[in-house]
Amino acid sequence: MDFNPTMKHNAVRKTVRKFAESELGPIAHEIDRDARFPVEVIEKMQPLNFFGLQVSREYGGAELDTTSYAVAIEEISRVCAGVGLCVTVHNSVGAFPIQRFGTPRQKERFLPLLASGKAIGAFCLTEANAGSDAGGVETTAVKDGDGYIINGTKIFVTNGGVCGTALIFAVTDPENPRKAASVFIVEKGTPGFSVGEIEDLCGMRSNPVSSLFFEDCRVPAENLLGREGDGIKIGLTALDTGRIGIAAQALGIAQGAFEASVKYSRERQQFRKPLASFQTIQNYLADMATEIDAARLLLYRACALKDSAKPFSAEAAMAKLYCSTTATRITNRAVQIHGGYGYSKEYDVERYFRDAKVTEIYEGTSEVQRMVISRAVLSKLT
Amino acid sequence: MVSELPWDAHTGTLKRELAEGMLNPACSHALEAALQVKEKHGGHITVMTMGPPMAEEVLREAIALGADRGILLTDPRMAGADTFVTSYILARAIEKMCPDFDLVFCGCHSSDSETAQVGPQLSEELNVPGAAYVEKLDLEGRTLRIRRLSDNFLETLEFELPGLVTLTTRHYAPRYVSLSGMQQAFEHGEVAVVQAADLKLDPEFTSRKNSPTRIMDVFAPVAQNKNLVMKGAPKKIVEELLEKFDDKIGGAIGKDLKQAT
Repeated sequence: MDFNPTMKHNAVRKTVRKFAESELGPIAHEIDRDARFPVEVIEKMQPLNFFGLQVSREYGGAELDTTSYAVAIEEISRVCAGVGLCVTVHNSVGAFPIQRFGTPRQKERFLPLLASGKAIGAFCLTEANAGSDAGGVETTAVKDGDGYIINGTKIFVTNGGVCGTALIFAVTDPENPRKAASVFIVEKGTPGFSVGEIEDLCGMRSNPVSSLFFEDCRVPAENLLGREGDGIKIGLTALDTGRIGIAAQALGIAQGAFEASVKYSRERQQFRKPLASFQTIQNYLADMATEIDAARLLLYRACALKDSAKPFSAEAAMAKLYCSTTATRITNRAVQIHGGYGYSKEYDVERYFRDAKVTEIYEGTSEVQRMVISRAVLSKLT
Repeated sequence: MVSELPWDAHTGTLKRELAEGMLNPACSHALEAALQVKEKHGGHITVMTMGPPMAEEVLREAIALGADRGILLTDPRMAGADTFVTSYILARAIEKMCPDFDLVFCGCHSSDSETAQVGPQLSEELNVPGAAYVEKLDLEGRTLRIRRLSDNFLETLEFELPGLVTLTTRHYAPRYVSLSGMQQAFEHGEVAVVQAADLKLDPEFTSRKNSPTRIMDVFAPVAQNKNLVMKGAPKKIVEELLEKFDDKIGGAIGKDLKQAT
């Protein structure tokens, strides 16, 4: 059991940190304030393989191990969580399902586009009546000749406003909705597929989250991912990987808020002493450091299991649960340490505070993560 | 180079475990210049560093950017070298590992100690023409034409290869490392480890013993809080201010004030 990051992990961390601090650091505040998706930085990220972090080299990806992937997402999110969200969702649930379940032809058609970032990926499961209850999906995909006609509305789609390909979770057998759901690859520009207005959200505001509308949208049969009825399987597998990405994102947010708190505690003086000399603040910092370290170890353990091709669902759920709840706790504490200034947009911590909250909600709420973990606990024989 | 300089006065060395190693900024500009020469004229780039085993990381980073192979000079006997001994060891390594080199690219100075001595000393050891503080270079056949900053003048010089240049940070902004490059650099990048015995250095040789100079101490200067009041007509004061402090102000804001006025 070696808990030390390898030289490669350190090198990946430094390189992504340098990019994030140079390119996203100066604009993070502005793009959050204006809810702007920074296309100019996305274009710089494309040749650096940020959109194909774990895609195979033959399709233009970097083929990184999962821990390096987590490090990359953490470092982007430490500076700008909204862009970190774009990158992790694109990689984990936009590209990965095609890499894992796609036919050779589908992989050839879509992976190079996705890995190069020319198409941004999105994953569409949530609907007005189907959040945690994925079985409540009402979008239908009815077979029609050599294709399917899709009808329905997907909401809260991360990257929705800019996606080039979207993976749509739809019911293919309306008689039996809880069994026969399938996943379809739908490309931007397909007639009947349109994008709604960008949501006005509390945090992650640089990410173009929107609804996607499907009105008699016809997709060819070759765009079905896997087989009819594979929807649940693909969905669960995608979400396992997605959880690692979101955990990394939450960890990055927590880390950024923590570092800001340490810096502020050293500099800010009250009662003629730096805040860091007061035991209360020292206790806060000690707790924050410990929780982040625990979150980090949980995350890397899930990454190591995935890379050893061992089951990792419960561990990924633990990592997601703990990293996200740690992020909300730490960012809350960070605002407190900054006092009045922490509440002002002149400092970054209030953005971290707003960004952190949703990590407890998307890609499976904390409550759903607990369902996964308790199921694993109770299914053990002893 | 290292990000900070925590100094151990007892041993007279850097407390390396407290500072994080990184690729020296001027060297990354030098590498970028080398990559551009390779893209334009072809060639083979060997990157070399002398340091503790963890210095391998910067070689991998260089390979990820496009260097062809890396050489890590690492040995307890090489530790604690001053610039003279560093240049000596680098020269022996280049003679052994890259005997047919055409051009050595160095950073003009390291951002931690800023002596700027290794480049020129290295060209002396290798007995090749060398030019420091190069801003731009162009290769035509075997002739290298360089533009470099000397005091406040720009000079254009030429020499025939083989030779050595040290690059400033003015041009050749380093490109970002791609993650695919990084993965491949670690997966199958070629990094050779070279020790003192491989270079056939004298068995009695150690850097600490053989360095003619020794750093006695490293400390941060205390900031001066001296108030200076300048009286007179605004125009005169501004002129006087710029005359006395343009270098300090320019250095602080990262702009060359002489160019602006």
